[in-house]
Amino acid sequence: MRDILENITEKLSTRGAESDLIFSTNKSLKMSAQKGEISEYKVSSSQILGVRVIKEGRVGISFTEALDEESVNFMITEALRNAQNSHENIHEKILGHSGDLVDCAFYAEEDVELSTKIKKTLELESLVKKADSLVTSVPHNSYSENEFTTLYLSSSGRFTSFRDKAFSISTSALMDKSGKKANYYDSHLTHRFCDLDWDKVIKKSLFYAREFLNESPLSTGKYHVTFSADCLQSIMGCFSNFFSGKAAMDKVNPWTPHLGQEVISADLSIHDIPQFDQSFRKSFFDSEGVEQSPLTLIEDGNLKSFYHNSVTSNYYSTLTTGHASRSALGPLGVSGTHFIIQGKNPKTLPSKYVEVIQMDGLFSGANRVNGNFSVAIKGHLWDRGERIKSVGNCTLSGNFQELLKNVEVTGTLLSSSIDGTFFTVPLLFGDLSIAGV
Amino acid sequence: MKLLSPHTAHDIIHSGLSLGADFVDLFIEKTQSELMVFKNSRPEDIQSGTHFGIGIRLIHGEETLYGYTNSTDREELLRITSLLGARIGKKNLPKNINFETSHFSPIPALEDVEMDPAYKLFLLKNIDERFRKNSKVIQVMLNLIKKNQLVEIYNSEGLVASDVRPYIRLFHHLVMKDGKFQSEAFHGPGAFGGWSFLDTLNQEQICETLLKQGTTMLYAPPCPGGKMPVIIDNGFGGVIFHEACGHLLETTSVEKKASVFWDKLGEEIAHPSLTAIDDGTLSGEWGSLSIDDEGMPTQRTVLIKDGVLKNFISDRLGELKTGHKRTGSGRKQSYKFAPASRMRNTFIQNGSSHNDDIFSSVAHGLYAKKMGGGSVDPSTGQFNFSVQEGYIIKDGKITTPVKGATLIGTGPEVLRKISMVGQDLKLMAGMCGSVSGSIPTTVGQPLIKVDEILVGGEA
Repeated sequence: MRDILENITEKLSTRGAESDLIFSTNKSLKMSAQKGEISEYKVSSSQILGVRVIKEGRVGISFTEALDEESVNFMITEALRNAQNSHENIHEKILGHSGDLVDCAFYAEEDVELSTKIKKTLELESLVKKADSLVTSVPHNSYSENEFTTLYLSSSGRFTSFRDKAFSISTSALMDKSGKKANYYDSHLTHRFCDLDWDKVIKKSLFYAREFLNESPLSTGKYHVTFSADCLQSIMGCFSNFFSGKAAMDKVNPWTPHLGQEVISADLSIHDIPQFDQSFRKSFFDSEGVEQSPLTLIEDGNLKSFYHNSVTSNYYSTLTTGHASRSALGPLGVSGTHFIIQGKNPKTLPSKYVEVIQMDGLFSGANRVNGNFSVAIKGHLWDRGERIKSVGNCTLSGNFQELLKNVEVTGTLLSSSIDGTFFTVPLLFGDLSIAGV
Repeated sequence: MKLLSPHTAHDIIHSGLSLGADFVDLFIEKTQSELMVFKNSRPEDIQSGTHFGIGIRLIHGEETLYGYTNSTDREELLRITSLLGARIGKKNLPKNINFETSHFSPIPALEDVEMDPAYKLFLLKNIDERFRKNSKVIQVMLNLIKKNQLVEIYNSEGLVASDVRPYIRLFHHLVMKDGKFQSEAFHGPGAFGGWSFLDTLNQEQICETLLKQGTTMLYAPPCPGGKMPVIIDNGFGGVIFHEACGHLLETTSVEKKASVFWDKLGEEIAHPSLTAIDDGTLSGEWGSLSIDDEGMPTQRTVLIKDGVLKNFISDRLGELKTGHKRTGSGRKQSYKFAPASRMRNTFIQNGSSHNDDIFSSVAHGLYAKKMGGGSVDPSTGQFNFSVQEGYIIKDGKITTPVKGATLIGTGPEVLRKISMVGQDLKLMAGMCGSVSGSIPTTVGQPLIKVDEILVGGEA
């Protein structure tokens, strides 16, 4: 495939254009169960080739999923035509580096029979159903395995190769108690089949579905709140524009004027560590082929840096932080690798607080430019070290910037999101509005 | 020109049947897409590309076996088919399939006239300039998306159908700032059709509406939280029916008994003032299509009539599993997904109330003039929606603007509480994400009143 990519960059060079190419493939197997049978069984093999050309300072992007000569030539022509209609962009250039970088994580081949995978998938439904007479169905359950490869080649001669394989399982428990329904969904992601924790996913779905059967709203008021790592990751993801050099360029990053200033609690520091030991997968280079190293975003509450690619760094006359992101389909953006919130001066938890375990509607209920959000929540009310009530049918409202100012560190151990890309020390957020009864 | 030779299609389907499948279909897709992103007062990104692939579906009993590839190579297609067929583990001796082209009346689409890229940029530049006359506007982002989806469908019952589906959408995103106050406003009209759609848009009105919304919400205080009556405006307000009820009527949820309405056919599930429709046949509407992704012509389906549940939204597998007749609703994002029962243009029909009467019936409540997005868990019926532009109603009058409101509740509960339905039905384009991917759907309604709903906001 590298030959084909080189051939394309050469063709484009003869037409006066710099370029870089991304070629991605994916092979997958997915299945799910209903009523004791496999109800869905899906196999796939797909590929996509995308090109970014820069000609006379203008950028054009095109892609194709068909790799016959005619389709590839059409993609090249389209990319050049798109560049012609684009504006002149003095900041966007193909980086001048060359050389090969390879990141092909090695995982010992496993010899797992298809029949074993099917048996375990069926159990994602049957064991949930058997575990509790209140379970009426298991609406979401699945086993999937995916193998990805991504190749990158630039006209300057940078070539990167990435390969990975992931396994995931999920299940849910829909319970009904006298007409009141509750459903909870859990999942697990690993690099090897043998590491999948089937039991934990099943037990967690059952546990929270039982809990939420008894949920009731809180009285409307202000509460101290903790979030699960996954919920906090969602909030950080929703407001990722606050950390983005691209959003700063686009005037939708409210922290743009505050670089070097205190923007959140001085007890917090936030880092992006590409090769973080506890992560699901270490990251070694970005989508422009730039080698990655740790980045401090916030230190003791002070905003130190945004995520940058070569374009945003040129715009702000700084260096790229190695956080370019691009798929074969689209333009160059920025994204983080592993987001780590660390804290100091830990305090003890107050006697009463709300633990948020599930949030719905965050992305639709958020204003990314002013940081306001409002979201439906489920969780627990704690009092003096005891979980005294399951909470639901209420909403939590706040502001992203205020949230991170009015926060206390309550421990030192990092907890991780399910996907292994987000880590945080325990945090307690103060005075958040919860609307219930 | 055929995307896949009928001879190859025959061989693949024959192979699937001989491996024990009861039914086999092929979905071949070639989609040309274009995207122009106009931002920072200039054409920031211009992208285009070709999606191409083939989806192979085998149905055995109630089991769906699905595979896809980007290759038209006969051997690769047979390999995928054999991987799927291996699951069935039995052999058949199928009869020959005689393909017969399906004829259907195409749903009229807006004309797809050629448009010079320079003219498209000229239009976007004009919109940008119109917005930026307001000094509080700090960013205008315009995404012009055009897709042309060619599909071919073959199945083991001998059906051959092909269709061309043009889609166009112009998404407006406005950011305003005044000192420490910031606000956003969105609008995303779309159509089943081509470039001529752009000429149908009243840009002056769109700009005026968005600037008014952005300016109002700049200084709006937080919405007070609590239970209260809510009046939801026409157009995108229909997202509440889409999420709170529409998804619960899809056989994809009904077949797993994962919908609170699975056994409620013929029963009163909503207030008698409410009639709701799912219609794939509306000329030029964003959620329309001539045939669904299983090759069946789309239709107008009455979901709820005067509060009584009349029909579910059904596809082939839904009919097989639940007995509810197919409604031409088997839809999917692309060849990468097996079809599922999905909505098309879904709306609450005009009622009998006058808007003045609806407002005057509320002593204290919320007027949700512009809804944002939302989501639902069909198994519990629990939904949430954001309100982009909201106002407090006092003694029947629209008063203070408020920001940050969220509406939460359950579908069955809210349907019974829609007590007044106006007469100004309006449809709006949106994207709906579910098991078979993200698809164009239209939502809509006239002005409605919900007697009580939990409004999330400031304590």
